Amino acid sequence: MKDAVRTSGLFKRYGPQIAVAGVDLVVPAGSFAGLVGPNGAGKTTTLSMITGLLRPDGGHAEIDGFHVWRDPVAVKARIGVLPEGLRLFERLSGRELLLYNGRLRGIPKAEVERRATDLLQLMDLAGAADKLVVDYSTGMRKKIGLAAALLHNPSVLFLDEPFEGVDPVSANTLTEVLRAFTASGSTVIFSSHVMDLVERLCDWVSVMNGGHIVAQGPLERVRDGRSLNQAFLELVGGPQTGGGTGLTWLGQRDTP
Amino acid sequence: MTTVRLFAELKLRLLAGNLRGDLARKLGFVFTLVMAAFLAALGFFLMSLVRLAQPEIAADIVIVVFTLFLVSWMIVPLLAFGLDDTLDPARLALFPLPTARLAVGMFTASATGVWPAATLIVTAGALAGLASGAGGILIGVPAVLLQFALCLVASRLVTTSLSSALRTRRGRDVLAVAAIGAVLLFQLPNLLINSDLGDPLSLLHGTAAVLRWTPSGMAAHAIADGGLVGVAELAVVALVVVAAAWLWIKALSRALVTPDVSNEAATVRRDSGLVDRIVPDGPLAAVVTKELKYIRREPRYRVVWFTAVVVTAVLAISFGRGDGPSGPGVPIMLTAVGGLMVSLQMCNAFGIDGRSLWMNAVAIGSERGLSVDLAGRHLANALVAAPMLVAIAVVTGVLTGSPGAIVWAVFAGLGALGIGFGVGAVTSVVIPYTIPERLNAFTGAAPGQGGQAFASSMGAMVGISLLTLPFIVPMLFGLLWVCALAPFYGLAAEVLGRRLGARIGFARMPELLAAVSKPA
Repeated sequence: MKDAVRTSGLFKRYGPQIAVAGVDLVVPAGSFAGLVGPNGAGKTTTLSMITGLLRPDGGHAEIDGFHVWRDPVAVKARIGVLPEGLRLFERLSGRELLLYNGRLRGIPKAEVERRATDLLQLMDLAGAADKLVVDYSTGMRKKIGLAAALLHNPSVLFLDEPFEGVDPVSANTLTEVLRAFTASGSTVIFSSHVMDLVERLCDWVSVMNGGHIVAQGPLERVRDGRSLNQAFLELVGGPQTGGGTGLTWLGQRDTP
Repeated sequence: MTTVRLFAELKLRLLAGNLRGDLARKLGFVFTLVMAAFLAALGFFLMSLVRLAQPEIAADIVIVVFTLFLVSWMIVPLLAFGLDDTLDPARLALFPLPTARLAVGMFTASATGVWPAATLIVTAGALAGLASGAGGILIGVPAVLLQFALCLVASRLVTTSLSSALRTRRGRDVLAVAAIGAVLLFQLPNLLINSDLGDPLSLLHGTAAVLRWTPSGMAAHAIADGGLVGVAELAVVALVVVAAAWLWIKALSRALVTPDVSNEAATVRRDSGLVDRIVPDGPLAAVVTKELKYIRREPRYRVVWFTAVVVTAVLAISFGRGDGPSGPGVPIMLTAVGGLMVSLQMCNAFGIDGRSLWMNAVAIGSERGLSVDLAGRHLANALVAAPMLVAIAVVTGVLTGSPGAIVWAVFAGLGALGIGFGVGAVTSVVIPYTIPERLNAFTGAAPGQGGQAFASSMGAMVGISLLTLPFIVPMLFGLLWVCALAPFYGLAAEVLGRRLGARIGFARMPELLAAVSKPA
């Protein structure tokens, strides 16, 4: 099977701090891949470099066999991106945002309008389609961001923390859309630190820690009989204690 | 008393915490400190100089100054809302404080700081300038303190009663534009004094006669009076302070239990607009429609457009009145300046997009794409600017009595617009910087990027000056017909600048993105 994403030695430093220290990320085409890691592991930096939003200091990245930095036209037509923080064009309505996005990519207006209506319906945003994005809630922003990322029918979708701050109903909508998307043979890569969610959705997992990939492969192989949470804690070397040290005052009440 | 100390310490700690680890902010604070000390000393000195004037005039001056202080205290914190961590009562809502203690604490916090201290010093200057005899001093000291308390309480009353409105998006949008209005308001006395409204003394006397009956005016009058009337006036001022404080406490306890007003989401119309129907379908039309919507909806665009219009109008009126130079050169020059004012907004074309620029970055895969993006922005701005330039040309042409120059003026304005766009396309990608969400009257850049903003506008100025030389020189010799070539020259400058900008910009897209995405 060919790889949707393949990076080798991807490297980025900010001053003395090394954010990503040579990442070799591999994601097979058609997989639903999770990129997991503790805060500061370099997930966002890695995704930004693969999607061409941040210039790496070293290494290279390929998407569907196209070099991200040498062949931007082919790469940008193939990827959909939902970055962290999610700043959108706030003073457009949801519908206008989708229209702008599609037409900027050269899709004819009539076609964009058709796709936008479908996506708004699918994301349960039809009622808010003509409201300004600046007034959207977090869940609505993630949904409109995902709709914008799907609009040009990409083959690889990059999502940075798509479920953070999203209510369960919206999260359910998002997962269903993403499942349908991968079922059609496209690839989804998302970063998260909610292990349950990754375990439930993904068939491929890459674990990052301290700027490196520490484990990568099909979900079953990475978790190796454990729960993903347990496997993750062992991989990144989190504290294994069962609690109990310090904080003796916590929970104590004075008896009157 | 412990409350007072606690809150004073809290305020000082917050001030210190704001400065930690950031050199630019430290320098800014030192600058503020120096400015405040200087202004306080100068203010005190000027107020004491009032003594040299005749007693009635002196009293009039102090009455006006006191009232100006009160009004500034009510307006300025509103415009700066969000800068002071102690200003927002909602931040203190979770602490188990009774309202009265909270009020004492917030009052202390307001009184602690650089600007309150400066205000107190300048206000005290009135003692040196106005008080006569022991009675004057005896009444003067409480009068100064009451005036100071009045400023603080009134300021707090205004911010507290508006705080829930200020936390909504709409409220902040309105305020962003109101900031410019306030700056103009402070310019108004200037214009009034410069115009021939008559004798400034009688103007002062007339104003003071009205303001004398406001609380701040009474405080000032009491110092000058120094007798029984003064005592009565002070009693009234004290009553006003107490009433304002009471209202403020009421507003405070209401603000603490009233949740944020939810943002009423605005619904926009769904039509695509006339321009979209004329421009052929494609990325260019997409950019033009988006940009036109932004010019209409984004408060920061409203502010810069409003400024451009007002500055040009003020120039046009002051030249058009006929006391400046006249002749056909004036409308041509003014229209060209108007064109430049508009095009200068495009010197940091990606600044207002800020962190949303990634959406363009992932969609634009080639140099041509970026060039189309710039072209769309230029076209949208030109569509709004062209009618404005025609209006400037016609008005100034008629006012200066040279209607024959109107056509040349329009040509010159369009040429200047094109040159500005061309130069701006290059500066936008070479020296990009973040434009903060909240514009204020003093900086247009994110913290730490003031240098870039300065370099960008200087670079644009130099580039534009060089490019306009081929026109300015012949026009100095009276060859006005060169203006006929200006639109073509401007178009050429726009195309070349845009190509160059797209080439440079596409190669450094990630750096461009980082530069306009600074937290502000």
